[in-house]
Amino acid sequence: MSTAIIDARGWQNCFDLRTGDEAEIVGPVCEMVKAVLAGHPYPGDTDFTSNRWVTDTALDLIGRYEPRFVFLTYAQQYFSGRYESMAEGARKDMISRAFGEVERFADASGFAPIIVGTGDMTPVTGIVDLTGLEGLAICTHWSTRYTGLFDATKKDLAFLEGHPGIEGYMPWSEVLSTFGETDRKDARLPEYLLMSRKGYAFRTVGILMKVPVMIPSTNYHIPVYAPGSDAMNITGIRGLIEESLHENKTALIVMEGVGCDDFLWPYRSFGNGKDWFYYEPSEAQYMTITSGRHRFIDFPSGNKYFDVDDRRRDYPFSGIFKSAPQGSFADTFPGKSIAVGNKSMFMHMVTGVDISVECFARNLYNQGTMAVVRRENKV
Amino acid sequence: MYTRSANNIVERFPHRWSSCGAAVIESVPFYHVSPGSRCLVIGTASCNFRCRYCSNAFVAKEDPFVYVKKMYHLEPEDIIRAARRLECHSIVFNVNEPAVSIPSLVELGAAAKAEGIPMGCLSNGYMTGESVEILASIFSFFNISLKGLSSEFNRRYIGIASSEPIVRNIERLARGWHVEVTTPLIEGANDGEIDVMADILSDIDREIPWHVFRLLPEDEMKGERYPDISDIDAALTSARQKLRYIYFHNFVGSAWVNTQCPRCHSVSIERVSLGCGGDKLKRVVGIGDRCPACGSPIRMLNLVSNRKENT
Ligand code: SF4
Repeated sequence: MSTAIIDARGWQNCFDLRTGDEAEIVGPVCEMVKAVLAGHPYPGDTDFTSNRWVTDTALDLIGRYEPRFVFLTYAQQYFSGRYESMAEGARKDMISRAFGEVERFADASGFAPIIVGTGDMTPVTGIVDLTGLEGLAICTHWSTRYTGLFDATKKDLAFLEGHPGIEGYMPWSEVLSTFGETDRKDARLPEYLLMSRKGYAFRTVGILMKVPVMIPSTNYHIPVYAPGSDAMNITGIRGLIEESLHENKTALIVMEGVGCDDFLWPYRSFGNGKDWFYYEPSEAQYMTITSGRHRFIDFPSGNKYFDVDDRRRDYPFSGIFKSAPQGSFADTFPGKSIAVGNKSMFMHMVTGVDISVECFARNLYNQGTMAVVRRENKV
Repeated sequence: MYTRSANNIVERFPHRWSSCGAAVIESVPFYHVSPGSRCLVIGTASCNFRCRYCSNAFVAKEDPFVYVKKMYHLEPEDIIRAARRLECHSIVFNVNEPAVSIPSLVELGAAAKAEGIPMGCLSNGYMTGESVEILASIFSFFNISLKGLSSEFNRRYIGIASSEPIVRNIERLARGWHVEVTTPLIEGANDGEIDVMADILSDIDREIPWHVFRLLPEDEMKGERYPDISDIDAALTSARQKLRYIYFHNFVGSAWVNTQCPRCHSVSIERVSLGCGGDKLKRVVGIGDRCPACGSPIRMLNLVSNRKENT
């Protein structure tokens, strides 16, 4: 059983991660994790100490658990500029301080870092309003490049063709074939996948009330710091981690909202997708990094996510996940592994590590922290 | 909000909505309305209160003139169509205060009634008797926020002189409609009023479900201390004897979100709380409006039959 330990600031409760049932837990690992949570209250997604919280929490957990593999995510710079305008100088300064945290972590821990930027951000220049379509357009809060369209009419397609913010639309069958699949049946999947142009975000029913000011750019490429590597694509990052771990304790560090334009360490430009497709910062991008194969079809944008949200389902604390995804590198890594991050509650699902500590913030509202203990048998 | 035009009060931005999306009814929160059903959540902009802790301040405290370009422009039939397409059982107004958008809601209410879609709302309950009758003609279930009782609290945290109209309106609505009540608790500000509020509500109807919220310090209160969960739980001890359904939540992992039979205390509905509008149904034990152990009735509004069942 995987155990979720929730710290709602000054008060903790434990659950079976899968069922969401309260659980009595005992054992040295869980007790240790509870102490880590109690010692590191989350300051909030946009608080100026948010990235510092990642470093401090990770160093504390490393001191107690002594892992060989660490997965970190720094996301303060991604959230801070998303809904409130930031002067370019302030944004650069925030990114520089984020890299300062990476340096502090690497110096204090001695781990060899592999650093991945999830892609550049760009100001919003226009909105593609799809609320007038005859068909049903579905997009999730954090996705601005892709939207799903169900029951499209000729009039809808004509509208899309004439819209300056639409780069194109593609029948879902073609999306599937891009990723080598042909017959995946799922009523939640759309008829068409719509793609916006750089700087455009979609407006559909069901999106967040807050309107973004900075969104992910056209990130066909992302920066990767991995000295000596000759990989070229996001699917090659897993191999870099495996290689590095032969020699070193290794940290995979993901910098959210940082692309080739802003990456401050020497980097190599990696392909961030396949053919016409590139990943937005998302569960699919993380799963592709950790599993070494493309996972967009497993976690597609534009699906009828709400069809599973309001029925009884497993993993109630795990965001969009209704089952535990397989194939992450750390799932089968025999050494000890941990993850710490401030990019919301999905690291425990995408990283496959023994212990993860993440912020529990929903739509930037700070609820506290959650740790997931998947394995206790490596102590 | 409203403006004056040729001696009439008119709505400034009719049919402009800040939100329109599917959600589970537990997340609103309504715990005693068709458990697990899906609702279309809508809202407009601005409010007649200025709560210091408003989680939706960017909409509720904003002049709609500033926000209007970002809002959906949806006529009643568009909203009905969205509700149908997203397979929603009801439409719930929950972002800001419905009393600031009455004409649009009257039109939407008529369209929803014609389509057989029930409507509910969250409201701060601060309105005239005339307004409350209009809301009662639109909505069939309400969650009214009773924020505090003392005039000092109301002046300092909410910006109003008295909570009397709110209590009066809870009483009025509970006579004919399904009513739940929500109170965000701030330690040292309104937690000393827990028992008096419980007395007031139990005098109106002991079966009113009461959602006691741990305040999430947002907006002007951002950075302030989060209220202590164990202390509030302890402070609710005697209130739990007065009202039949008390929930303590608005924080992730709450242990006080299940519905228990008022008679034998068996759990009849289990929920999980993700905090801040993220509550979900986990399971209904038995049939939901009867205790699975002793068969006693559980207060529940069934949206299909749209009927209030009292014990
Ligand atoms: S009544 Fe509600 S919406 Fe209005 S200011 Fe208070 S908390 Fe915000």
